[in-house]
Amino acid sequence: MSSAHVTPGTVPGPKLAAHFASLEVQKHAARLGMWLFLATEILLFAGLFACYASYRFLFPEAWAASSRSLDLTMGTINTVVLITSSFTAAMAVHYAKEGKNKMVGHMFVLTLLMAIGFLVIKFFEYKHKFHIGTLPGRYYFYEGIQLPGAPLYFTVYFASTALHALHVVIGMTVLAFSTVRAYRVGDFNANNYTAVELGSMYWHLVDLVWIFLFPMLYLV
Amino acid sequence: MAIANESHQEEHNMQEHHGAGRYVVIWVVLLVLTLVTVFTGRMHLPDFGLLLALVIASVKGTLVALYFMHLSEHRGANRLVFGVSIVFVVLLIGFTLMDFGTRFRLANPPGSQYSDLQAVDIGANPAEGRTGGHQQQIKQQHETHE
Repeated sequence: MSSAHVTPGTVPGPKLAAHFASLEVQKHAARLGMWLFLATEILLFAGLFACYASYRFLFPEAWAASSRSLDLTMGTINTVVLITSSFTAAMAVHYAKEGKNKMVGHMFVLTLLMAIGFLVIKFFEYKHKFHIGTLPGRYYFYEGIQLPGAPLYFTVYFASTALHALHVVIGMTVLAFSTVRAYRVGDFNANNYTAVELGSMYWHLVDLVWIFLFPMLYLV
Repeated sequence: MAIANESHQEEHNMQEHHGAGRYVVIWVVLLVLTLVTVFTGRMHLPDFGLLLALVIASVKGTLVALYFMHLSEHRGANRLVFGVSIVFVVLLIGFTLMDFGTRFRLANPPGSQYSDLQAVDIGANPAEGRTGGHQQQIKQQHETHE
């Protein structure tokens, strides 16, 4: 393909792979692929949601009591932090379309800082649980709630929040690559922002999962 | 060429540049809905508390998908993929619950709401049977540590 070189006056875009009819089709394929991947992620978490639903159905009292033992303030702060980080990730796409690479970097740095904040708060929540003994299965030793099914609640709690935290870490890695590229190379523009857009979509998925986990675990 | 048309339409929608105001509005709405769900959650509504929390979460999730993830500007295939994944989530959880809801009573785990048995009835250690945790042994270890 000899069309790779940039003619002066046009906005440089990504390379067009030979098997796509046009750049439009190529971008469409990238988005569709991302949606397919996100669908598998949604179904991954759906397995844990099904566990939650089953055991909640069987042990409603243990579920209510255990849910009240969580720190609602920390959970709420974490929700606000994650929603705000999702907002800055969306703003990064906005600036990428305008070709303002510095702002893309700044927005992603803010997102990453909030992601670290989220994990730090989560760490303190975990630490408290290890201290008082609200742990999964046979490691449970909390005196405050002695109901059948309580250790199961914390199995679901730790499994789902740990899987979510793993996704936070993966999302941070993905966004870090775009951040470095925005600062160092600075080649995002109206024609070329797929990396920012798809990375940001992944981050929104992390937010989306937490939007459901938060009321399920902390509120009801 | 339906696919090419769809790509063209999507590209056109994505290129159309909206102000940042739209994201700010969605962000504020998401924060307000978070406060609403915390407030209604703390009231511990007896029957429809879970339903209300899930409705609020679904509204928030829809806003994130439509505007932050740009699903409102995408066409055909992308929407189909997302929609089908949600349908499968509903099927998975729905059929699991239908199973539990219609079980022969003795098929439910001992100690659960729908069982006449306790864990000790099927031979569990009385100390462990109440919760399933090893509270006695671990508690002793815990105390010797302190």
